[in-house]
Amino acid sequence: MNTFMQNFPILAIMSLFLGAFITSLVARHSQKAGNFISALSVTLALGFILALFKPVMLDGQIITYWLGGWEPVAGWAIGICLEVDALSLFFGLIVTVAVFVSCLYSFTYMNHDDALPNYYTLFLMLSGSVLGLVLSGDLFNVFVMIEIMTFTAVALTAFRTSYEGALEGAFKYLAVGSLGSTGVLVGIALLYSQLHTLNLAQIAALMPVTQGSSVVLAIAFGFLFIGFGTKAFLFPFHPLAADAHAVAPASISLMISGVLTKCGVYGIIRLTYILFQNANRPVVSYLVTGFGAVSMFVCVTMAFNQHNFKRLLAFHSISQVGYVITVVGLSSALGLGAGLYHAMNHTIFKGLLFLTAGAVQHQTGSLDLDRLGGLSKRMPKTTALFLIGAASISGLPPFNGFASKWMIYQATFNAGLLHHNLFYLAVCVCALLTSVLTLASFIKVTQSVFFGQLPKEYEQVEEVPLAMRLPMWILAVLCVVTGLFPSLVQTYLLTPAVSAIANIPAYVDAAMGAGYAADRSVPGGVIASLPVTNTWTPTAWLALLFSVTCAVAIVAILGSPKDRQHEYISQMGEEESAKYDSFFSGEQAVYSQVGGSDLFWGFKHNWRKYFAVMHNWHSGIVNDYTLYGVAAIAFVLLVCVTTL
Amino acid sequence: MLMVNYLGCFALIALGFYCMITRHDLIKVVIGMSLVDYGANLLVVSVGFHAGGTAPIFTISELSRASFFVDPIPQALTLTSIVIGACTTAMSLSLCMMLNRQYGTLDTREIRRLRG
Repeated sequence: MNTFMQNFPILAIMSLFLGAFITSLVARHSQKAGNFISALSVTLALGFILALFKPVMLDGQIITYWLGGWEPVAGWAIGICLEVDALSLFFGLIVTVAVFVSCLYSFTYMNHDDALPNYYTLFLMLSGSVLGLVLSGDLFNVFVMIEIMTFTAVALTAFRTSYEGALEGAFKYLAVGSLGSTGVLVGIALLYSQLHTLNLAQIAALMPVTQGSSVVLAIAFGFLFIGFGTKAFLFPFHPLAADAHAVAPASISLMISGVLTKCGVYGIIRLTYILFQNANRPVVSYLVTGFGAVSMFVCVTMAFNQHNFKRLLAFHSISQVGYVITVVGLSSALGLGAGLYHAMNHTIFKGLLFLTAGAVQHQTGSLDLDRLGGLSKRMPKTTALFLIGAASISGLPPFNGFASKWMIYQATFNAGLLHHNLFYLAVCVCALLTSVLTLASFIKVTQSVFFGQLPKEYEQVEEVPLAMRLPMWILAVLCVVTGLFPSLVQTYLLTPAVSAIANIPAYVDAAMGAGYAADRSVPGGVIASLPVTNTWTPTAWLALLFSVTCAVAIVAILGSPKDRQHEYISQMGEEESAKYDSFFSGEQAVYSQVGGSDLFWGFKHNWRKYFAVMHNWHSGIVNDYTLYGVAAIAFVLLVCVTTL
Repeated sequence: MLMVNYLGCFALIALGFYCMITRHDLIKVVIGMSLVDYGANLLVVSVGFHAGGTAPIFTISELSRASFFVDPIPQALTLTSIVIGACTTAMSLSLCMMLNRQYGTLDTREIRRLRG
C-alpha cells in the first residue's frame, strides 16, 4: 500500500478543522484573509479526497490510518482509525463537493450579515465533522463527530438570530435531535458491553459469532438505527428539518439537506450492511424500507401545503432522502446502487434548488410564495438554473433525477417480483406517485415565484452577481452530466461503492490484518457490476428534448402577435380582482394571474381532511415532536426485541 | 449490584423523556434533555465496571496478568460524553434566553411560529 496516500484522509479532515481555528483568529482583523483561509481549506480537503479517487475507486484499495500509530495488537483494535473504503469515499466526495460549492456561494450570499468570522469558523467545523464522520473507522469517533455536526448545524441555523423563527427552529432541532444523539450513545454502550470493541471493522468481524444469541445486540441495533435515522430526518423527525431549513441561511440549508442527511444515510448503510450484516433479514428490510416509504410520501404531501419557498424545499428534501432509504432497505445490489446514485443526485439538485431560493431571498428579501411572482423577467439566469434543478428533482429526462429514479423503480419492482411480495410493489407505486406529486409541487413553485405577474415592489430587482451564479452553475452542470452519462457513474462510482459494501472481509482485513476475517468466517463476496436491466439512452432523450424545444420555440415565435401584448399590459392594473377568473369565468380576463397555490385546488380540496390532520399533526410544539420521536424509538425497539 | 445501575439509567432516560414530553416550560424541557443525558452516561460507565476491579492506573512495568481493573475505555467515553452534555445544556439554555427575549415567553405552546 502506498504509505504516503494513507495520510490523505486525516489531512483532509485536519485542513478543515485547522482552517476553522485559523479563520477565527485571522478573520477578526481582516475578513478578506478569513475568506481566503476558508476557501483554501475547503479546496485542500476537496483535493485530498479527489487524490484518493484513483487508489480507492479504481484500484479497489482500502486506506487505513491509525491515529498516533496505535495499530491493533493481538487481534484487538486499541487505537482509533480512519478507514476509507469506496463507500466512505463516495460519501466523502459528496461532502467535499457540497462544502466547496456552499463555501463559494457564502462569500457573496452572506455579505449583508455581520459576525462573519463566527460563520466561517462554524461552517468549517461543520464540514470537518461531517467528513470525519464518513471517513471514521471507530464507532465512538462517529458519535463525537455527530455531536459536533449537530452543535454547529444548530448554531448556524440560528445564525441570523433576528430572522423570524430562527431561534425557534434551532431549539427544536437541538432538543428533538438530542433523542437521536442519545440513541447513538446508548447503542454504542450496549454494543461495547457485548463485543468490547469500538472499531467498526472488528465489530463487523465479531458480529456473526454473537448475533442472534443476544437480545442486547438487538436493542443496540434499534437505538443505533433510530439515532442515524434522526440524523437523516426520517419520519417522524422530519418537522425538525423543515423548521431548520426554512430559517437557516441558504448555504447552510444546502449543507443540512445535502450533507447532514447523507450522514444519516451513510450510518444506516454502514449499520445494516457491515456492522450487523442483517440487511437481508426480512424484518430489517421491512423496517428500513417502511420508514423510507412513509417519509417519502408524507413529506411530499406536506410540501404541497407550504407557503414558504425554503420550507417547501425542505419537505421535498426529506421526501428524496426517503427514496434513498427505501431502496437501501431492499438489500439488493441494484437497490443499493440506486440509493447511492439518488443520494448523490439529491445533494446536487437539492443544493441547486436551495441556492436559487437563496438567490431569490438575497435579491428580494422574501421567501413567501404568495407574495413573489414573475421573477423570470428580472432574474432570467436564476430562473434557468431553478428550472434545471426542478426538472432534476421531478425526474424529467435527461437530468440526473430521472436516471436514479429509474433505477429506484426497477429495484423496488424487481424486489416485489422476486419475492412475490406485495409490500415492495406497493412501495414501487408509492415511489411513482411521490414523483408525480413532486413534479406537481414544483410546477406550483415555478408558477408562484418565477412566472406570472411581477409584483410592483419587485420591479427593481436585479439579477444575482456572477459570484453567486457560479456555484449554482457548477451544480447545474453536474445535474446534466450525471444525468447524461449514467453508465460512467455506474462504472466509476456506484459499482466500487456497492462492491465495497458487499465485500465485508476486505473491510475487516484492511483494518485488522490479513486473515482476520477468514478466521472468523465473515460472510461477503465481490460484486462485479450492477444488474441494471433495460438501461436507457439519455442522448436519445436529449435529442427529443431538443426537438420539442425547437418546435415550441418556433410556435412561440410565429404565434405571438403584437396586439396581445397591449391587451396584457391593459390587464395589469386589475390582477387582484381577476385572480380566480381564469378558473371560473376565464373569458373576461385571459391573462389574469394564476397564483401557484391555486393550481391544484381540486386535488387539495379532495384531500382536505388528510391535509387538515397533517397540519394539526405538525403543531410546532417541541413536546409533540419529542412524543413522536419517543414513540418511534419505542416502536423500533419493540420490533427489534420481538423479532431479531 | 450492577443491576441497580442498569435499572437506574433506563429509569433516568425514561423520566427525561417524560419530562420533555409533558412539561411546557422550555427550561424544564432542557432539564429533561439533561436527565436523558445523565442516564446515557451512567449506562456507559456501568458497562465498563467489573466488581472488585481497581482504578485503571498502571505503568507498563506494574501491569501483569494478575492485575484486575475496571475497563478504562468507557470511562474515557463517559468523560467525553459529559463534556458534550454540558455543551448541549449551555447551548440550549442560551437559545432559551434569546427566545425569551424575542417571544416574551418560555411556554412551548406559544413558541410555535413554524408549523403546518
